[in-house]
Amino acid sequence: MSEPVLITGLGTLGAWGGGSERLAAALAAGAPLAREVDRSAGYHLPHGARRACLVPPGELAGWLSPGEARRMSPPSKLAVTAARMALRCAGIASEGGDEAGTAVVIATAFGPSSNTETLLKQILDEGPEAASPSLFMESVANAPAAQIAIALKARGASVTVCEREAGPLIALGTGAAEIAAGRAGRVLAGAVDEMTPLLHALLDRFGALAREGEDGEELARPFGRRRNGFLAGEGGTVVVLESAASLAARGGRALARVLARGSAFDPTAPPSGWGHGHKALARSLRRTLERAGLKPGDVGLVVSGASGAREGDRLEAEVLRAVWEGGPLPPVAAPKAVMGEYGGGHLGAAVLAAAGSSLGPTPGFAEEDPELGITPLDGPLREAPSVVLATSLAAGGAAAWVVLGRG
Amino acid sequence: MQRNHPVGEGRRVAVTGIGAVCGLGWGAASLWEGLRAGRPGISSFHRFDHSRHRTHLAAEAGEPPESFVRSCPGWRRLSITDRFALFAAREAVERAGLALPLGEEAEAGVYFGSSTGGMYESELFFERFLRDRRGRLSSLIPQQVNAPGDAVARHLGSTGPVATFSSACASGALALGAALDAVRSGEVELAVAGGSDSLCQLTYAGFNALRSVDEVPCRPFRAGRAGMSFGEGAAVLVLEPLERALARGAEPLAMLAGAGASCDAHHMTAPDPSGEGAAAALEAALADAGLPPEAVGFVNVHGTGTPLNDAAEWQALKKVFGERAGELPLIATKALIGHLLGCSGAIEAVATVLCLHHGELHPVARAGEADPELPVNLVLDEPLPVPGGRAAVSTSLAFGGSNAALVFSPWGDQAA
Amino acid sequence: MSEAVAATPDRIKRLIVESLNLEGMRPEMIEDEAPLFGEGLGLDSVDALELVVALEKEFGIRIKSQEIGREVFSSVSTLSQFIEGRT
Repeated sequence: MSEPVLITGLGTLGAWGGGSERLAAALAAGAPLAREVDRSAGYHLPHGARRACLVPPGELAGWLSPGEARRMSPPSKLAVTAARMALRCAGIASEGGDEAGTAVVIATAFGPSSNTETLLKQILDEGPEAASPSLFMESVANAPAAQIAIALKARGASVTVCEREAGPLIALGTGAAEIAAGRAGRVLAGAVDEMTPLLHALLDRFGALAREGEDGEELARPFGRRRNGFLAGEGGTVVVLESAASLAARGGRALARVLARGSAFDPTAPPSGWGHGHKALARSLRRTLERAGLKPGDVGLVVSGASGAREGDRLEAEVLRAVWEGGPLPPVAAPKAVMGEYGGGHLGAAVLAAAGSSLGPTPGFAEEDPELGITPLDGPLREAPSVVLATSLAAGGAAAWVVLGRG
Repeated sequence: MQRNHPVGEGRRVAVTGIGAVCGLGWGAASLWEGLRAGRPGISSFHRFDHSRHRTHLAAEAGEPPESFVRSCPGWRRLSITDRFALFAAREAVERAGLALPLGEEAEAGVYFGSSTGGMYESELFFERFLRDRRGRLSSLIPQQVNAPGDAVARHLGSTGPVATFSSACASGALALGAALDAVRSGEVELAVAGGSDSLCQLTYAGFNALRSVDEVPCRPFRAGRAGMSFGEGAAVLVLEPLERALARGAEPLAMLAGAGASCDAHHMTAPDPSGEGAAAALEAALADAGLPPEAVGFVNVHGTGTPLNDAAEWQALKKVFGERAGELPLIATKALIGHLLGCSGAIEAVATVLCLHHGELHPVARAGEADPELPVNLVLDEPLPVPGGRAAVSTSLAFGGSNAALVFSPWGDQAA
Repeated sequence: MSEAVAATPDRIKRLIVESLNLEGMRPEMIEDEAPLFGEGLGLDSVDALELVVALEKEFGIRIKSQEIGREVFSSVSTLSQFIEGRT
């Protein structure tokens, strides 16, 4: 990339609570953050998944005024809060609204799902005339990005990316490209999703979620032999991306930097699953490294998007093996074992790792799958990596990666 | 967002293929025929029972050609939105003279925009599931807004970057902007960009709840206009570096010269009445194209027909074009095909390319009286020759304040 | 069979608080003549439309788009007169 892209702030909320320190602590502790989902609506199968990594109540307190929060959907609240946290982390005051030239790029897999559900119920049960206008305006996928822009008076481009599990890294990469090409001095990039009981029940009915195994526990087991699905999660994660010039102008420090970005597609993937196109994906990943002037051997840590999904983790392993051409892999972290899929926790973990934060053991992983041959982190690394590769493979075929370096 | 590519830096990008589906028919030829005739495709529709909705019109796409149904793999599992997208993508790729699967073009990037994805089919599922917790789960598979874009990438055999944008009415234009960047920078050698949306109850009821929908076919920029009309369909454009297109003997239909984006940061549903945000997107697009406002020959306006949106757009046009704003021919495609939501930026891009390629601006039927507050030069009743050699701008001003603008310039006989 | 129905202004005030998610506000706190939009309660155009949906449901009427304007919606009092004229 021509212009270095610096990550100067990280704001994040999820099952770990609010703030990047809480996320770092949760990752270091290496315990899964799942708790019981409300199954009272009867959407769930009797022996189906029961847990998800949900945002604890009360985490938004103090970040949103009652007036602005009144009509916001849950993802919009998470997004605006995470954006304000990120700016504060970066040492940028957000009340005055000096964000006129700032662009906003947010990924969401499912958009404001509770609003959509309520709207559908209104229309289908009571009739179209009962549809709530304020629920509708906050049901669109771009509501969170729009609310960030309104809250911060950010008048640069406003972009919402929807590409499921690959969305967050595509959003980060898209934001970084804006800075690198000199089109924006500052970008707020991130991801947000909410996990409703209905969405959870549907994901489970598709067989996507981790279920109780022989040991009786519902756990994500990334790369594990007994993996049987992922943990659903929710949250909001926003990073502040800046050009070196923008940072120098205001004084400050960078947490990490974006060295390269890339994305690709596996056309053999079925619409809600993973395929077998690891060769082309690996080619793209290698080219992404080359663009940063790096070789696979330079990568100190892979923050993998492996989540415990049977086929997703299989493909992830095949891609990594192909990139490293059968040679030894660097340490591979799989943070989704801690905070689940969706909400940007994985993006947050990658940034923290690049910033020098120590990732802990991988809960749920008990036995390596001999077909995959990858054992994720079982404790903190001795040395903080100077190059971190974050990977993500979406159900349906999309893939995205980002290479991060120290700040 | 200022895009500061100095002219000449980065490759020139040609549009070598287009495909479209909408209320005027399946295929770019049907689209052009209807546009040129100024024939509104907005009338009663059958996709779902609208008797209890507040309005009753839409530009519904008719039945697909039999040949497409027969030859499209996995037809039954695809949503309507997926089907629109695949038809348009196939048409665009064929028009570009590329065979499927893309073979060595397999690194093609796919950049798509959608607001609805497979929501129509999901509504059918939810009607049953929310009532008695049963239903065919498979009808939810294409529900995601990224489903049509992914379906196109799958169908093309593409292994390059794939991304779906869902920024309401700016989605398609943002997708084209992303595609332009990717081709210009060399990240991809070929980009397939577009959008797809279908009629569904959620958006129909939602915009009606906001009282944004006219009871008669929409009347952009006219006096007494009372809202938008719905449309559905898909549009796809094939973009590649000009040198590559010429080297393989492909004739560009037009050039995609620039893209720009901004955000009003004002209100979730109402546009900034000053038009500043929209003007910023327009100016950014022109700067990206390296063109001054004087180089623009016509504008494909966003022109939804709502009182506030058209008024704000007029302010934006005045800011950018100054005294010329009242003379600049405006084409209001939504009056004929309705508002395709996420797809709108893409299909209006195709409409703009068609106008440049044919050298004619499509009219819309004169509806009511001109609005004295908006003294614009709408192309009415009869097609108008395109002002020679001039570029065109297409604007998309979205719900939530996201604005995008694209600049197209003519190729071949139509170029200066 | 008839039940004691609250007066129209009271029903409207309750709807305002409920349908517009006005936390910390009780219906009694809204004065009959107080401006609802712009100043006063500071509600906006989307709030007006939300209230329309609630009013239609509560009073069993249909409100046309042309009727949703500043005069009818300026206060609880004007709304009440409008509703009573329609029911």
